Amino acid sequence: MLDPNELTVHTLTLRQLGSAEQLAEINALPIADVEAALEKAVADGAVMAARGNYMITPAGREFLDEVYLRAFAGLRADPAVTDAMDSFETGVNKQVLSLTTDWQTIEVDGARVSNDHADADYDAKIVEKLGRVHEKTQKVLQPLAQQNPLVDRFLDRIGAALIRAEGGETDYVSGVRVDSVHTVWFQMHEHILRLTGRERPE
Amino acid sequence: MSTATGFRWLVVPDEDAAEPSRDLVGGKAWSLWRMRSLGLRVPPAFVVTTAACEAYFADGGLPEGLADELITGIRLLEKQLGRTFGGTERPLLVSVRSGAAISMPGMMDTILDLGCNDEVEAALAAESGDRDFAAEVHRRFTGFYGRLVLGCTEELEDLPDTASVRAAISSDVGDAVPADPWEQLRAAVAAVFASSRSRRALAYRKHYGIPDDLGTAVTVQAMVFGNLDDDSGTGVLFTRNPVDGAREPYGEYLQRGQGEDVVSGRITPKPLTDLEERWPTVHAELLDAAEQLDREGRDAQDIEFTVQSGELFLLQSRPAKRTARAAVRIAVELVDEGVLEPEEALSRVTAEQIRTLLRPEIAPGAADTADVLVTGVAASPGVATGVVVDTPEAAQANPGSILVRKSTSPDDVHGMIAAAAVVTEQGGATSHAAVVSRALDTPCVVGCGTDTVAGLVGRTVTVDATTGHVYAGALPTSAIDESDDEDLRRLTRWAESATPVRVGPDVAAPPIFDAETLAAEDLGEQLPDIPTGTKTVRGAVFCAPDGVRAALDAGVDAIVTAHRLPVLLAAIAHQRRTS
Repeated sequence: MLDPNELTVHTLTLRQLGSAEQLAEINALPIADVEAALEKAVADGAVMAARGNYMITPAGREFLDEVYLRAFAGLRADPAVTDAMDSFETGVNKQVLSLTTDWQTIEVDGARVSNDHADADYDAKIVEKLGRVHEKTQKVLQPLAQQNPLVDRFLDRIGAALIRAEGGETDYVSGVRVDSVHTVWFQMHEHILRLTGRERPE
Repeated sequence: MSTATGFRWLVVPDEDAAEPSRDLVGGKAWSLWRMRSLGLRVPPAFVVTTAACEAYFADGGLPEGLADELITGIRLLEKQLGRTFGGTERPLLVSVRSGAAISMPGMMDTILDLGCNDEVEAALAAESGDRDFAAEVHRRFTGFYGRLVLGCTEELEDLPDTASVRAAISSDVGDAVPADPWEQLRAAVAAVFASSRSRRALAYRKHYGIPDDLGTAVTVQAMVFGNLDDDSGTGVLFTRNPVDGAREPYGEYLQRGQGEDVVSGRITPKPLTDLEERWPTVHAELLDAAEQLDREGRDAQDIEFTVQSGELFLLQSRPAKRTARAAVRIAVELVDEGVLEPEEALSRVTAEQIRTLLRPEIAPGAADTADVLVTGVAASPGVATGVVVDTPEAAQANPGSILVRKSTSPDDVHGMIAAAAVVTEQGGATSHAAVVSRALDTPCVVGCGTDTVAGLVGRTVTVDATTGHVYAGALPTSAIDESDDEDLRRLTRWAESATPVRVGPDVAAPPIFDAETLAAEDLGEQLPDIPTGTKTVRGAVFCAPDGVRAALDAGVDAIVTAHRLPVLLAAIAHQRRTS
């Protein structure tokens, strides 16, 4: 496990530029703890402050690489975790990316064009499928979630984004400026890659 | 209608019946009734009402008398089509779908081809002379039932035959699809009811304050087949051309085809003239129905139809998908036809569609002599010229540059926001770079190949993310101007009178907040805060729909922009949502 200081620096690898509130939203620490951790990390040179927002430095990334080796040695040696990651990469992760693409573009007469979200049925089908993938992901990532409770928090935040998308807030599937399904999914993906010490496949 | 037939739990939507209550039969069945009342032929159907759903939860099972009424309902369908449910000759198959008054996520999908078993498959093969078709019907039904009624979560779509689907279901849930069609029907109806209280349906209702006990109706409709004989076929028809919006029917027909054949692209259908030559009377009937549905829907319609042994059945009619160009043409034309008021026509065109139309393209002929540096997959359309940088930090320090990366991750997003275009070596149309660029409306080319982009750093290039080429140097571009296009001019005029917000290149009144003067790092992954009392905002971030919404919420009354229509439409859409 990571202590609050380590976890706060780690959170800045999931969200490039963030305020204490935004980081706490991701890592579930009390804001006061995040603020204290940021202050310490800035003093150590692991994090840079810019007008209320924070960024990780190269030194901060090196610091984390050391931390991970210690904190996640047990997790990385667990064959159930390795299987779960393999399944995640080849299965649900691909499905989410392809559904996001279906969300953003539709086929009109053989050519793919931007989805104008005029077809509520089309949108509803995709959100429905994303919901099913979301449920399946909870099963797939079970071995990781058992050892790292933050995984469940990501899944809850994805569920919250799905509900907003279901209510017609179309930004909540792939929008960049909100905690959309895609934004949170990618944070989660980065988080579990770092947990397990794997590279992002392309 | 149901009083005449003495049903307690059923409603039969036919042309002679009075309009059924949407709350009782759901939206889908209501539209079936609407088509019937226009004199259009749809496959016969009956509805199990929301009252039966309520009773299902009260009694903990299908209510008293429903099983008998299901039999009576099916007998009606059998009589109209001369087929038999579970029959060994001319079998009747049905679809079973949910339908609530408010459409809700988490409800059960449609089950097709219910009523199939080994004997029915054999009967269907004998009737159609096509064993593969009959086997495919059986395989698909088994998958639908396994997933939706028995709750199997394994992927069943890709399994080759009924036997393998059965095996997958059995190993996953330890249960099997019943051979008795009546048992299939009862279980499917119960599964639809149960799905109205699934975890996701309940979560959705809780969030939106919809009562927990809002139930669903179940529509049971006869399946029709386009591949029974040479006098059968299936097709789609757009009442207006989906590419340019021209008011002319446009469609495809496939003799001896099943619905999925046309939609899936497994077989290339023929133009609608094929139907006209074979079946002038059916073709005429179809065009007549299309005309009615276009008028009735007050919008371009996408109609699915099947001809079964020379008889035309309309399966579905819904607002058609269309290109941005077609959306503009159709909206203006509907006003000219007197179908829509200008105010309503504005809701048929989105800000994003206009942004798409106004996007610059490489000037005709300019690319012919240009040097192509790299080529990849076009992932997010548009054209941009700039100096190539290879880190998100450099993209932020030099806004408007071209960001090239091996692939992108969340670490790169702030750089992607500042960049004029994004180019990657790896990944396809669903990669992170593609998804984020589309969300940002930033031109993006992905998958140019390993080690292709490093050599570009520092050069000026032009990215054409419509074709996937990256050219050396700055190429001239051309774009449609709002004021050059009659349809766009009229839409703009209508939009101006529909919103109090002033939009244009020279509307500024102080105090002005200019996002372009902010440091790049302040334009991070959220919108900038608009100072209290601001009257005018300026900057690209306020020309996108989310920026327009933020400006209106901050009480701004003018937005400075070169392209007026997209901003006006975003403002009107926001007014509509918040008024």
